[in-house]
Amino acid sequence: MNSNENTNQLANENTGKISFAVGIAGILLCVVGYLKDPEQFIHSYLVAYMFWVTICLGALFFTLMHHLTGAVWSTVLRHILDAIMSTIPLMAILWIPIGFGIHDLYHWSHASAVAHDALLQAKAPYLNTTFFVVRTLIYFIIWSFLSIKLIKLSRSAVTHADLDRMRKVSAIGTVLFALTFSFAMFDWLMSLDPHWYSTIYGVYLFGGAYLNAFVIIVLIVFLLKKSNILDGIVTEEHYQDLGKFMFGFIVFWAYISASQYFLIWYGNIPEETIWYKHRWVGSWKTVSLTLVFVGFVLPFIILMFRSVKRNLTFLTAISLLIFAAHYLDMFWNVMPGVQHHGAHFSWMDISTFLAISGIVFGFIWRSLVNHPIYPSKDPFIQKSIAFKNF
Amino acid sequence: MNILNKKPIRSSDTASVSPGSMYEEVPLITGNQTFSSVTEKICSIVENDPPKMWYVLFGISLSLLLMLVGSVGYLIWEGTGIWGLNNPVGWGWAIVNFVFWVGIGHAGTLISAVLYLFRQKWRTSINRFAEAMTIFAVICALLFPTIHVGRIWVLYWFFPIPNQMEMWPNFRSPLLWDVFAVSIYFTVSLLFWYVGLVPDLATLRDRAKTKARRVLFGILSLGWRGGNRHWRHYELGYLILAGLSTPLVLSVHSVVSTDFATSIIPGWHTTIFPPYFVAGAIFSGFAMVMTLAIIARKAFGMEDFITIGHLEKMAKIIMVTGLMVGYAYSMEFFIAWYSGNEYEKFTFINRAFGNYAWGYWIMVSCNVLIPQFFWSRKMRTNVTVLFILSIFVNIGMWFERFVIIVSSLSRDYIPSSWDYYSPTIWDISVFLGSFGLFFTLFLLFIRFLPMISMTEVKGVLPQADPHHDMYHNSGDK
Repeated sequence: MNSNENTNQLANENTGKISFAVGIAGILLCVVGYLKDPEQFIHSYLVAYMFWVTICLGALFFTLMHHLTGAVWSTVLRHILDAIMSTIPLMAILWIPIGFGIHDLYHWSHASAVAHDALLQAKAPYLNTTFFVVRTLIYFIIWSFLSIKLIKLSRSAVTHADLDRMRKVSAIGTVLFALTFSFAMFDWLMSLDPHWYSTIYGVYLFGGAYLNAFVIIVLIVFLLKKSNILDGIVTEEHYQDLGKFMFGFIVFWAYISASQYFLIWYGNIPEETIWYKHRWVGSWKTVSLTLVFVGFVLPFIILMFRSVKRNLTFLTAISLLIFAAHYLDMFWNVMPGVQHHGAHFSWMDISTFLAISGIVFGFIWRSLVNHPIYPSKDPFIQKSIAFKNF
Repeated sequence: MNILNKKPIRSSDTASVSPGSMYEEVPLITGNQTFSSVTEKICSIVENDPPKMWYVLFGISLSLLLMLVGSVGYLIWEGTGIWGLNNPVGWGWAIVNFVFWVGIGHAGTLISAVLYLFRQKWRTSINRFAEAMTIFAVICALLFPTIHVGRIWVLYWFFPIPNQMEMWPNFRSPLLWDVFAVSIYFTVSLLFWYVGLVPDLATLRDRAKTKARRVLFGILSLGWRGGNRHWRHYELGYLILAGLSTPLVLSVHSVVSTDFATSIIPGWHTTIFPPYFVAGAIFSGFAMVMTLAIIARKAFGMEDFITIGHLEKMAKIIMVTGLMVGYAYSMEFFIAWYSGNEYEKFTFINRAFGNYAWGYWIMVSCNVLIPQFFWSRKMRTNVTVLFILSIFVNIGMWFERFVIIVSSLSRDYIPSSWDYYSPTIWDISVFLGSFGLFFTLFLLFIRFLPMISMTEVKGVLPQADPHHDMYHNSGDK
C-alpha cells in the first residue's frame, strides 16, 4: 500500500478536528478557571503540561535511541515518533503561562521569602527568576533543534548515508538530552519544594517519560488501525515489542522511584523525608498507594502475558491505564506542595488537561495527516515490516 | 557432509553502504567458517596441549594465588588489624575490592541475558567467557567480606539458621541483603552458564578420544543428544534464565550500593546510588571483558570469532556507560551544592581538592575523560588503543570505589576523629592475590572448556539460515 494513500484516507477523519475543538473548549474553561482561582489554575496547568512535555521528550529520546542503536523493528514507527516530536516547539509556547505563573508556583521566586531563608539565599545563584527563564529557553532551543533536525532528516531519508547522518545527530543529542532533561526536571518540578533535593530525580522523571512514549505510540497506532491504516505494516510483532519495552520501563520507573523512596526512608533525615511526608498526609496516602498499584503492580502483572502484548485492544487498554498513572504521577509530584492536608481534585485539573491534550494531540494528528505515515523509502523498511520476534 | 563443509556465499546487497557505516553488514564471524571448522577450531584449544604462554601465565597466576592463601592465612591468625584500617576508616581496600569484583561480574550477565533479550547476535562470540568471568569475579568478591568478618569460624552467623542461642542476623542491615543478593546472583549465573554449556559439552563428549574424557563430559552433558525436543526445551529454558538474570543485573549492584547509601554519611547517602553503581558495574565489567577478549583472541588465534566488530561494539558500550557514570558524578556534585547542606558540600569539595584529591582525579580521568576517545571510530577499531584504554577503565573503576569509601570515611562529621588511611603490605598482597585467584580460574576454564559457544556461533553463521543458498542447490559444490 502506498503511504500517501494512507494520509488521504486520514484527511477525511475527524480526529484532528475533534481534538482541536476539545482543546479550544478546554482553553475557554481555563480562562474562567484562571479568573476564579489563579493559584489552583497554574498548578493544574503545570500537572497537565508536565504530563505532555515528558511524553514529547520521551518520544525524542525514543528517536535518539532508535538511530543510535540502529534499530530496525521500530523503523515503521519512525514517522509517528516524528509527529509526536514535532510538537516540541509548541511545548515551548505552552510553557509561557508557567513563566507568568512563576510567583504562584515557585516559592523561591519571591524576594521576601529569600530574605528570610538562609538556604534559599545559598541557592539564589541558581534559583532566580532570570536564570530560570534563560535555562528554560536553552532547553527548548536544544530540544527544538534536535527534533526539527531529526524530523527533517527522517522524512527525506532514503539511503544508508541518511541514516548515518541521523545517527551522528543522535549521538551528540543523547548527551545533550540527558543533561537538559535532568535540569529541566530539577527546575520545573523539584524546585517546587526548594529545600528538597534528590540526585536521582531527573532519572526518575525520565523513566516515566520514556515509558509513556511507548504508550502514546500504541494509542496512535490503535486510532490509525481503526481506519485500516498501517494494516500489514505495523503488525502484532511490533505490538509485542512495544509491550516488552513498556513492561521493561514500568519496572525501570518502579526501580528508580523505589530507590529514591527507600534510601530517603532508610536514611530518615528530616530535610529529605519531608517530601514524602507531604505525600503521606490524609488522602495523599491513598493517592500514593494508588500510584504504586496502578503505575506498577497492575500493568506489571498484566503485561507479563505474551497474548496481551500481541493484542492491540488489550495493549491499548493497558496503555490507557499507564497513561492515567503518568497523570497521577505528575499530580503527585506537583500538588502536595500546595495541598497540605490531603489531595483534592479540581475541575480545573480536567479543563487544563483537555486544553493541552486537545491542542497537542491536534497538532500531532495534523502532522500525521500531512506527511507519509511510515518511511516507505527507508532502506530497512521491508526488513522492519517483515520483522518477527523469536 | 557436503552441506556442512559448504562455504558461505557473501551477500552483495550492501553495496550502497559506505565503509564505516554502522549499517554496513559485516559478517559476525569471518574467515568463511563452516560448521565443522567452528567445532574444529574451538575444540582444538581444549583437546590439545596449550601454548607455552599458557603455562607461563598459569605459573604467575598460581604464584599470586599462593600469596593470597598465605596472606589470608596470616590474616585469620592475626586479625584484620594487619590491614591499614583505622578509626574512622573502618572499611578500606577489602570493601573496595569487594565492590570492584562484584562490578566486574555484571558485564557477563548483561552480555548473556540483556543482549540476548535485545536480539544482539554479536554477543554469541563473547558470552561464554564473559559469563565465566562473572562467576570467577563473584568468587573473588565473596572472598573479601568473608575474610573481613575477622572471626571467620562463625561465618555461618550470616545465614538465618535456627539455633539454640536464638540469635538471628539483622534483617535490616544491607550487609545481610548483600549475602542474599550476591549468593543468588552467583547461583543464577552458574546455572545460566552451565545450561548454555550443555550442547558444547556433548560435542566434547562425542569427540573424546579417551574413556575418562568420554565419561566426564558424558556426565556433564546430561545425556544431550541434540534431538528436536532437547533443543526446544533448551531454547525455552535459556530464554527463561535470561529473563530471570536480567533483573539481577540491576538488583545486585543496587543492593551493594545500599551498603553505603542507607547510611547518613555525606558522599554515601544519595538517591542516585543504585543506578549509578549499576552503570559503573557494567562499565568496569565491559572493560574487563575487553581486556580478556583481546588477550584470548591473540593467544589462541581467535580473530575470526572475536572480530574487530565485536570489540568496537564493546567500546561503544564502554563509552555509553562511562558517560552515565560521568552523569552521576556531575549530578552528585551539583546536588551537593544545590542542597545547601554544608556537610555535603564539604565532602565533595574535599574529594576534588582535599587529602584524596589524587584518587579523585585518577577516577575522573580514567572513567570520564579517557573513554571520550571512543567517539572516534579510528580509536574504537585499533586493538592496541582498546587494550590500553580498557586497562585505564579498570584502574579508574577501582579508584572510584576507593574514593567513595575512603574519602568519605576519613573526613567524617567530627574533625577531631579525622584520619588518613594508607594500605599496608597485607592490603596489597590480598588484592594482588585476588587477581591470582581470578586468573587461575580463568586460565583453567579456557584450558578445559570451550571458551566460545560453538552452538551459538554456528547459529549466527550464514549457513544457519534455512533460506541459505546451499539448501536449495545442494547438488553443486
